[in-house]
Amino acid sequence: MEAPGGASPLSPALVGRLRQEHEKVVTSCQEKIQHWKKVESDYDALQERLRTLPDKLSYDIMVPFGPLAFMPGKLVHTNEVTVLLGDNWFSKCSAKQAVALVEHRKKHVRKALDDLQKVMKNFESRVEFTEDLQKMSDAAGEFVDIREEIEDDSIETKGKYRTAHKPHSKPKVSNVFEVDFPANGSDTKSMGRFQSEEELWARLEELERQEEILGELDRMPDTVETNGEDTTSSEEEKEEKRTDLNGTYRTEDCITQGSFHREVTNSDLFGGQVNGSTYYHSDDEDDIDVGDSSVPTIFFSHTVEPKRVRINTGKNTTLKFSEKKEEAKRKRKNSNGNGHATPELPNIKTPADIYRVFVDVVNGEYVPRKSILKSRSRENSVCSDTSENSAAEFDDRRGVQRSISCDEATQSDNSEGILEEEEEEGQQQLPKKHPPSSGTTEAFSGTVIEKEPLSPSLIPHPVIAHPVLPTILERKSEEVLSEASEETTKRISKFKAARMQQTN
Amino acid sequence: MAEQIQKKLQGELEKYQQLQKDLSRSVTARQKLEAQLTENNIVKEELELLDSTNTIFKLMGPVLVKQEMEEAKTTVSKRLDYITGEIKRYEQQMQELERRSEQQRETLGRLQQELQRAQGKA
Repeated sequence: MEAPGGASPLSPALVGRLRQEHEKVVTSCQEKIQHWKKVESDYDALQERLRTLPDKLSYDIMVPFGPLAFMPGKLVHTNEVTVLLGDNWFSKCSAKQAVALVEHRKKHVRKALDDLQKVMKNFESRVEFTEDLQKMSDAAGEFVDIREEIEDDSIETKGKYRTAHKPHSKPKVSNVFEVDFPANGSDTKSMGRFQSEEELWARLEELERQEEILGELDRMPDTVETNGEDTTSSEEEKEEKRTDLNGTYRTEDCITQGSFHREVTNSDLFGGQVNGSTYYHSDDEDDIDVGDSSVPTIFFSHTVEPKRVRINTGKNTTLKFSEKKEEAKRKRKNSNGNGHATPELPNIKTPADIYRVFVDVVNGEYVPRKSILKSRSRENSVCSDTSENSAAEFDDRRGVQRSISCDEATQSDNSEGILEEEEEEGQQQLPKKHPPSSGTTEAFSGTVIEKEPLSPSLIPHPVIAHPVLPTILERKSEEVLSEASEETTKRISKFKAARMQQTN
Repeated sequence: MAEQIQKKLQGELEKYQQLQKDLSRSVTARQKLEAQLTENNIVKEELELLDSTNTIFKLMGPVLVKQEMEEAKTTVSKRLDYITGEIKRYEQQMQELERRSEQQRETLGRLQQELQRAQGKA
């Protein structure tokens, strides 16, 4: 059969054509079947005639005479039949033989009929299939590739605000958050309470935009350059501490400018407020007032950061904690061309200002910094100094570090390992490590300071030891007690000293 | 250049058409032969059914010529053989024609491409 079979592409035109072809085949089959059925019926009639013919010797009939005339006649030799065998072959046979021949032919006819029936059935099923196909294609419309246009741009990184190092780069999810702006903007400003991170980020965005509008981003190319490192680091830290920013928008501080001056204003605003609420205010004001850096750099004024204090850049702030130290440093160095040193420093007139201005960040939360003379001050050691710290400050730091290290030791179980290392943490990488690795062992900070005067200075310091030392200290102290005598001559770690002191 | 290609294309196209015609002719001839084959088979079978008492005639033009039974059977058999042979021949012919037409198609395609290229350049 010439029907088009096989798989065909599912398009409505082709399916239609296929269906048509199927139908053609089916109709032709049906016609043939009809034809053969007629033939068979004719043969049946013929057989009947042959059977009855020899009944009489002769029949009176009207013989056709041409196409229009008949004439009466007789049919004789009723048993002699000349049969066409096919292909111009004839044979004279009796009626019965003729019947047999007819029967034989009928066999062929029936065979052809059966074949046709089979074919027709096959094609009927095919037609049904194509009909179904067509129905499906009609119902589903055209067969089209399933495509889903992703238009939802809001599924962008939320919070992953990599305001990278490009001044005008902004985090993506702007549109989503813009909606929040009018709703929450006033709230944030007025209420100044903690908000979700997203809102804060939105706020950040807004501020950035404001900056741009005000052309503030072109302010301080120097700061941009110099702050490159800081911004990167601070941004990284910002990323890290994002989760910690429960409303503390430190980043807002940093993002706008990195100028110290801004921080000053911020700090001033912070006075008396520990949560990040003031940030909003300060940020607003900062954004509006200070137009220092062209690059939105992020600085963490009050976060724990490794001290990047590079005072070479007068504007660079490092904002690291203890501007006081920087102050001292600068005084010590008396160099770095800090013309900005003074204006960059917060306006601290009294010691109390210090603790108002500089707020620690413990695990992202604000903790008012206490005096270092107090035991809990500098726990999370915002102070990270370079090695150029003065000895006086160093001693203070030692005490602080000891307390810090004690804390760390308590936090971690590897107190032993920490002991020596902490002792030698002349420099801090402590502050850097505190928040992120409060639970981890305090690995060696990296800098080793060997100072003979340490041991004598350490001994009186045990008093400063943190009273919250866990029992580990006790145990350790027992272990160490035996060695205490030996260690007295050597350097004693603060930790041990503390324990010893406690046990003593 | 394009004209040359076009002329060539025309020539090849005609050849292809000729081949197609031959092919179709072969196909019809084969179909006819197949019908004759069937018929002669039936005749053969029916001759089997008849016995020697029946006279067998062959129609040659307007004349019915009497034939012997065996003669008829032989004739029919020969005819059958002849027909089958013819069919085989036609089959081979058809295959050959198909092959040639395929080649012709390829040539046509190539020429068409050349023509397009030439036309594109021009």
